[in-house]
Amino acid sequence: MKTKTLGKNRNRRSLVITESIMILVALIWFVPVYYLIVTTLKTPQDATNNPLGLPSPFVFGNYAYAWEKMEYPRAFFNTAFITVASVALIIILGGMAGYAIARTKTKAGTRMFLLFMAGLVVPFQMNIISLYSIVKNLGLMNSHLSVILVNVAVNLPQAVFLLKEFIESTIPLELEEAAEIDGCSVPGKFFRIVFPLLKPVIATLAIITTLNVWNEFMTPLLLLQTRDKGVILQEVSRNIGQFSTDWTAMFPMMMLGVAPLIIFYIFMQKYIISGVAAGAVKG
Amino acid sequence: MKKTRKFYPGTLGKYFLLFILPALVIYLIFSILPFVFTFFYSFTNYTDMNPTNLNFVGFTNYIKVFNTPIMRKAILNSVIYAFVMTGMQTLLGLPLAVILDKKLKTRNVMRAVFFFPAVFSALIVGYLWSYIMSSSDYGLINNLLHQLGLGTVNFFGPKNALFSVLISQIWQWTGWGMVIFLANLQSIPKDLYEAAEIDGAGGLKRFFKVTLPLMAPSVKIVVITGLVGGMKVFDIIYSMTKGGPGDATETVMTVMMRQGVSKGFYSTGAAFGVIFFIVVMLISTLITKLMGKWSEAIS
Repeated sequence: MKTKTLGKNRNRRSLVITESIMILVALIWFVPVYYLIVTTLKTPQDATNNPLGLPSPFVFGNYAYAWEKMEYPRAFFNTAFITVASVALIIILGGMAGYAIARTKTKAGTRMFLLFMAGLVVPFQMNIISLYSIVKNLGLMNSHLSVILVNVAVNLPQAVFLLKEFIESTIPLELEEAAEIDGCSVPGKFFRIVFPLLKPVIATLAIITTLNVWNEFMTPLLLLQTRDKGVILQEVSRNIGQFSTDWTAMFPMMMLGVAPLIIFYIFMQKYIISGVAAGAVKG
Repeated sequence: MKKTRKFYPGTLGKYFLLFILPALVIYLIFSILPFVFTFFYSFTNYTDMNPTNLNFVGFTNYIKVFNTPIMRKAILNSVIYAFVMTGMQTLLGLPLAVILDKKLKTRNVMRAVFFFPAVFSALIVGYLWSYIMSSSDYGLINNLLHQLGLGTVNFFGPKNALFSVLISQIWQWTGWGMVIFLANLQSIPKDLYEAAEIDGAGGLKRFFKVTLPLMAPSVKIVVITGLVGGMKVFDIIYSMTKGGPGDATETVMTVMMRQGVSKGFYSTGAAFGVIFFIVVMLISTLITKLMGKWSEAIS
């Protein structure tokens, strides 16, 4: 009895020590983010003399400058449009294909599944040259549609996989049979009964693909040439390349570049972390 | 009778094709077709100067790739990058997950902090870290070193630039690995630990004998996605070093974007893409086999 409480105490003490060390490590891990945030509000002299201190004086003008230089509202809406359209298409088209494959236990069904799964092994980056020429020949160069379609094609295999597995393992066939008896057609069955039941896997997919698509830089760089079509990341790279004297003015640009996802993360943190884990473990 | 058969569960009839078609068309045009064309172009003399009159040139483009030092260097750098990145992500992420699985009061906040950089775009992380590591007056690390009375460290020399890039990426992606390891850890039944404890196994022994073998699934995922993802590295190089100094940090994708797309050497770029594909396939097959052996050995 006595040894047990002693052991418990020792256990608790070692937990406290572990926790203190880990808090220190976490603080160090956070320094780059903290540095990014405080530097956005500093003058160059202040940032050089006192890189990790709080800003004195606080300078907000850099944000206004970055906002204007990056043509932020336009870049934001371009990025948001591409992301929302891509994610919606990935989920709806992936859901339809995943459903059709899950409910078709024939050779054709299996072959279709394998065809999509091939996309999980082929790195699409190896094909950028032919992708470029295909997009050009289709007359889609410098259009948001081209970036959206490439995003969809790249992310579909994972979506089809996750959705098919989910439908097979959790949606009971009896449910669909009952709907059939009530005279429900296949599209009605899918959109009214099956699709709403896919919520958990759709949430996972939406999170993973939003992160992928929003942060995708190479596809827009390859396919969007004019500035009016460009995404936030292209604006960040264009401006940081251009001005290097007034270096603290670059930090608000980086901050504006990551801000939408920071906000997304702050509100959805729990879902993002579990979504990433679920997507990786099953995918 | 016919109608009931059409809607029999398990056969969707014509709806099988109708449901697959939209996804299939996009996938064929923007994934499969480019893949086929890459192979096709790699055997032709397609360049931006010669876009229509294509002739077959055999393996000329492949020989050209192997005779171009920057392309050889790029493949080597990508392989080094992928292995170091994956190794560190596992070596740091795994213990981190084990610690943050313990009953610590602040563990949820700490998990959020370590995962945080993973939501950033790698491009911006690259810009941020190039300021942090810069040798100019404003570089954060050198600034702090000067305040301690120490000399300047050049993070972007020809020998260490790739590793400086790696530091930023290890910072960014360790939390990602941790989250996947944590999900795996939480699925291990707790009574296994109790049994080990009764057998008198200490912390470290418990980790190697009980935890590690059961972590095989998540280690496999992190290692394979890490290696394949690492081979494709582009954004971080683009923003931190642009491949320099010299060709010290050139990777497959930076060279492909510049030589293949911007400079218009399409067919050589395509051959480079095929070789890249073969290297990725070789690595993932090899690692899958090794991981399979490891799972067998411990079970």
